[in-house]
Amino acid sequence: MASNTDYRLNRHHKFKQGDRKYVADLETNEIIQINDVEWDILDRYGTQTHYQIVEALKEKYKSTTIFDGIARLERLGKQGQLLAQTPNSASKPNVSEQIDSKFKVLVPFSFTKEKSSVDYITHLNRYQLLTAVAQSVALETFGFSRTGKDSIQPQNVENFGKLRIRQIELEENNAFTPAWYARKGYDGILLLSQFLTDNLLYYQVPDVPIVHCIDGIQRLQSSALETLLHLHASQKASDTLVVKASWMKEWLSEFEIPEKDVCVIPDGINPVEPIGKALAKQHTAAIFDKPMFVQQPALGLISGFEPSRGAQWISTFAQANPHLAIFVYDSVLAAHYKNPPDNVVIFNADDEKMSAVLPVFFQALDLVCFPAIPGTPISVVLEAMAYGAPCIAMTKYDLPPEVSGAGVKVESDWDNSGNFHAPMDQLSGIINQLLVPSNMRAACERVAKSFTQKYTWQETARKIIQLFEKKQPSTAGPHQTGENLFPPIFCRRYNPKTREITSDAYRLGINRYEHLETALEETLVKQHKAAEVKSVFKHFKAKTPAPTAKQLHRSGTSDIGGFEELERPQTPESLIRGDVHSTTNGITTNGTAAAVADFDKSHEVLSVYE
Amino acid sequence: MLNFPKTLHPLYLFEEDTAVYAADIEKATIVELSAVMVDILKLAETRTSEEIIQTLQTSSYEEEDIFEAFERFAELEKEGLLFNRGENLKENPAIASERRKLLVAIPGIPIDSFFNIETLAAGTNMALSYMFQHLTKYVDLHFAGTRNRQLADNMYEVDISVDDFGRLSQRINETYFGILTLHRDHETWLLPLYQHTELPPILVQNHAPRGHGGEAINSMLRHYAAMRDFDAFTAPSDYVRDFYANYVWDPSFFNTLPNGVDSDLFSPMDKQKAKQELATHIGDDRILTTPTVGYLSRVQSEKGASIYLKLAELNPHLLFLIAGPNLGRYASRDLPDNLLYAGFHPREALPTVYNAFDVYCFLSMSGEETFGLTVLEAMACGVPPVVPNFDGVPSVVGDAGLIADAENFAQDIATFVSYPCPIDFSEKINLLLSDDQMRQSLSQKSRERALSFTWDKTARRIIQLFEGLHQKRQLVSPNRLLNLFAPTPPETVHDLGKMGSIQQEKQASKCQSLVLGMNEYYERCLIRDAAYPMSVEDGLALSILKNHTVREAEALLTAVVADETEAKATLKRVCGLIHATA
Repeated sequence: MASNTDYRLNRHHKFKQGDRKYVADLETNEIIQINDVEWDILDRYGTQTHYQIVEALKEKYKSTTIFDGIARLERLGKQGQLLAQTPNSASKPNVSEQIDSKFKVLVPFSFTKEKSSVDYITHLNRYQLLTAVAQSVALETFGFSRTGKDSIQPQNVENFGKLRIRQIELEENNAFTPAWYARKGYDGILLLSQFLTDNLLYYQVPDVPIVHCIDGIQRLQSSALETLLHLHASQKASDTLVVKASWMKEWLSEFEIPEKDVCVIPDGINPVEPIGKALAKQHTAAIFDKPMFVQQPALGLISGFEPSRGAQWISTFAQANPHLAIFVYDSVLAAHYKNPPDNVVIFNADDEKMSAVLPVFFQALDLVCFPAIPGTPISVVLEAMAYGAPCIAMTKYDLPPEVSGAGVKVESDWDNSGNFHAPMDQLSGIINQLLVPSNMRAACERVAKSFTQKYTWQETARKIIQLFEKKQPSTAGPHQTGENLFPPIFCRRYNPKTREITSDAYRLGINRYEHLETALEETLVKQHKAAEVKSVFKHFKAKTPAPTAKQLHRSGTSDIGGFEELERPQTPESLIRGDVHSTTNGITTNGTAAAVADFDKSHEVLSVYE
Repeated sequence: MLNFPKTLHPLYLFEEDTAVYAADIEKATIVELSAVMVDILKLAETRTSEEIIQTLQTSSYEEEDIFEAFERFAELEKEGLLFNRGENLKENPAIASERRKLLVAIPGIPIDSFFNIETLAAGTNMALSYMFQHLTKYVDLHFAGTRNRQLADNMYEVDISVDDFGRLSQRINETYFGILTLHRDHETWLLPLYQHTELPPILVQNHAPRGHGGEAINSMLRHYAAMRDFDAFTAPSDYVRDFYANYVWDPSFFNTLPNGVDSDLFSPMDKQKAKQELATHIGDDRILTTPTVGYLSRVQSEKGASIYLKLAELNPHLLFLIAGPNLGRYASRDLPDNLLYAGFHPREALPTVYNAFDVYCFLSMSGEETFGLTVLEAMACGVPPVVPNFDGVPSVVGDAGLIADAENFAQDIATFVSYPCPIDFSEKINLLLSDDQMRQSLSQKSRERALSFTWDKTARRIIQLFEGLHQKRQLVSPNRLLNLFAPTPPETVHDLGKMGSIQQEKQASKCQSLVLGMNEYYERCLIRDAAYPMSVEDGLALSILKNHTVREAEALLTAVVADETEAKATLKRVCGLIHATA
């Protein structure tokens, strides 16, 4: 991708006259005075990316100066001078070709930061995901080094096979964030980190679709939710939030994140060659020194509980079901819950050796049980089931489609503070039912076994790459042609009818007032995502009592000094305080009376049409 | 045919793709030239047309081609290209001067009219005329016009249209210390110019705050919103400044710039002699014997003509003189016998007219009377004034005259705004005419007070204001911080007692703004890596300020934040953040 700009340079001629520098646009016959930096930028514009231009000139100028220069040239372009707008489509090869040859995805990471909060399995899954994705696209990450110092390598990068490292030399006083280097040269950005500040900056990168894979989050859900809400608000239309379990999507939809903005792609699983259930049970009993894993039915609880509530719940559950040998997988509790009930073992695979033994435990299970909450790792659930164990999903939604046909659900409830409730009697009843051999159990076992083929890393990678493919920035660029040519000026305005001063927007060029909300929306849309703008409007509307039809009408009938009023949208919720303000003051001026009379008149007209 | 030699604009010739172009730097346009045109241009400044034809014919050009080139040049000249129009200033002395230069842009008023004061009917224009004269002591004035010529000492007309200001902004900035202009309703050229950050400071003289169906104040409010941090208004009196400041948050954009008076021309004369002269002029001897009230104005109701008529009816023992261009619609009215139309007088005759009055009466109620230049002129002649208590005039009069009651319609700023009370006016006039001692004392005070209003002061104040604006300009911060708006989850109630029947509270999410501690080039600033949460109001201001002025953010916050104190604090906070992280 050479230039990746929306403009091409007109035929032009640069010249100096005295101390001044000019460029003559041979297509529009205009002369534009330019400064030194713009002079230098013009040599490169159109053949180099913005990034390359800044890199090339940063010795000579401050980088912000270079940006300002580019911005000014592009502003001229917007006015039809010196640069001409080009539809991206003309220069871009078609999408499938890109995929085949040089589809390039950036996967920035500084996982070291997260090591403390992410468990081994999550790390492993990321590694497997990157390995699988790197099979079909050019995957690149940043390696930063400081001049004169040792190079800073991303941790464990040698493990990621085909992943390339782009070395970026940082000057001592470099002030740019890594996200800045992502601006040009990539067809997509794959985010795996859950660190808000880093991520939000990547979301500022224009025109590069982002696929953000969110892991299950075993901590206080409300803080995780906040992160997700923020990420969603900062998404462009071409970005996708990927969650690993369907219940995450259901949960987010409770908070007005539309289902279409969230994509469910479960991680792949890595089942091993089975050793047989009886042997697995013996091994398990031996490892934990708990003979009951041979003698009693074994239930695997894949937990994502908020830790302290989880310990409480597990204890209650174990006491209610003393006839079960319970194997709990919980990455946090394994280290902290020291004295669980006798019939419970808690395990976490926190290194390679321990994860190698995990399949033995899974094969020993007769049943898998899990709460469908944000902390529960779906890949562990699926892998545990893949040896043929049916499941019980404790959920407040439907049975998760991932395990559809392989289990049943128990209606449960939970909230964002970590509270969890499942009806214990009912749960025990269903467990006992499912443990007994039956046609239904046999059917569930068959489906569970098929997960080995269904949830592969190849499939996960394929779905993720497909998201990049689908979400390439639209080629037509209607947002540019549709943009209003004349900027609005927000100003106060005196209304001779009401004798009040309220705020309005004045449109240059057509020289008249228009609705403040329209202008505000237009202004915000330029720099904010649709979801952000929506939440801003929602915020202010929530603060403002809805005005009555009469007041709304009045706000739309202020016609001053021969200026024609643009028609105001008469929405029932008006953002603008002024529209409401006057009535709360109870002002009854002649102006109001006249306006009310006007309203009544127009009402009559309306009824005629009706 | 064109008459060479001609002065050329600064031109730069260049070749590109075998075509030759002339870049007219003055006009920021390029013109493609034929070979013969290039050769003509080389001779254009030194040879006559005949000589050019002769020279070129010998270098093998066809006469036909030469004439065709002449025609093309004539067309280009008409478009204002290549050649200096008007008088050929070989080297524009205007630009060459070392002095500070102000660009004066007042489209709509012919430049010459400022130099022929008799043609100026409106006080505003007259004030401008005086002001320009006195400004030249400190700066050169360049009037944006249609040709290059010298108008007077240190005053020039330059061939530059206000429509070109934006395009030539850098050039103008290098040449001029500032742009001086006049606020007029319905103008469409100035408002867009504020978007050109390169232009030097613009000082906008603002006279009429009210009237014009509200358009005067609305236009002013638009300018206030759109103008850059280093532009400003002037108002003729403190009253007007405060009037504007009342409607906005930042009163520093309004500066009092009082008018002056030519106290050499307008000075006390022998009163009897003046009365005699005026009596002879209008052919009525009553002026010599009857106490005389005078008023100089256009005879229109907005100037209080009807009230003046009532005053005459109320006071048959006094003589009421009115001097103005004509009697207007009052010409057909049956006027009281003691109301005399004194006719129109050229400016140099006005001191005699003023001096013939015993009392000056000022009755304007239009809401555009922000200063009252005639009051000051009467005062300079030692004639004590009686003025209505509204708008800017009382602050001009001070304690040197009497202030009469007026009904003020303070809320109405769209139409007429005051009604001077005839009874109180009548009383004050009689008081002044019956008390010789008071009249004489006020007469002296009037003259003294008038002497403190000098045009030189006005001129110096303008220079001072521009200097202040240049300082403000250096503080302008283009810093644009990254922020985003994000919903935050509703608070859940931590209540273990509810376990077993958890009620998922269906509360709506709230919204907050996050500042990312980066500017829009992802460069780190004060807040480093943090995502710093702030209120949506703050975030909104931050977003608006990226492409709009502080005053626009002000208008917006007024609309969306109920508590004005809170709204002001928000704006202050956000501006501080921007400046501190610049």
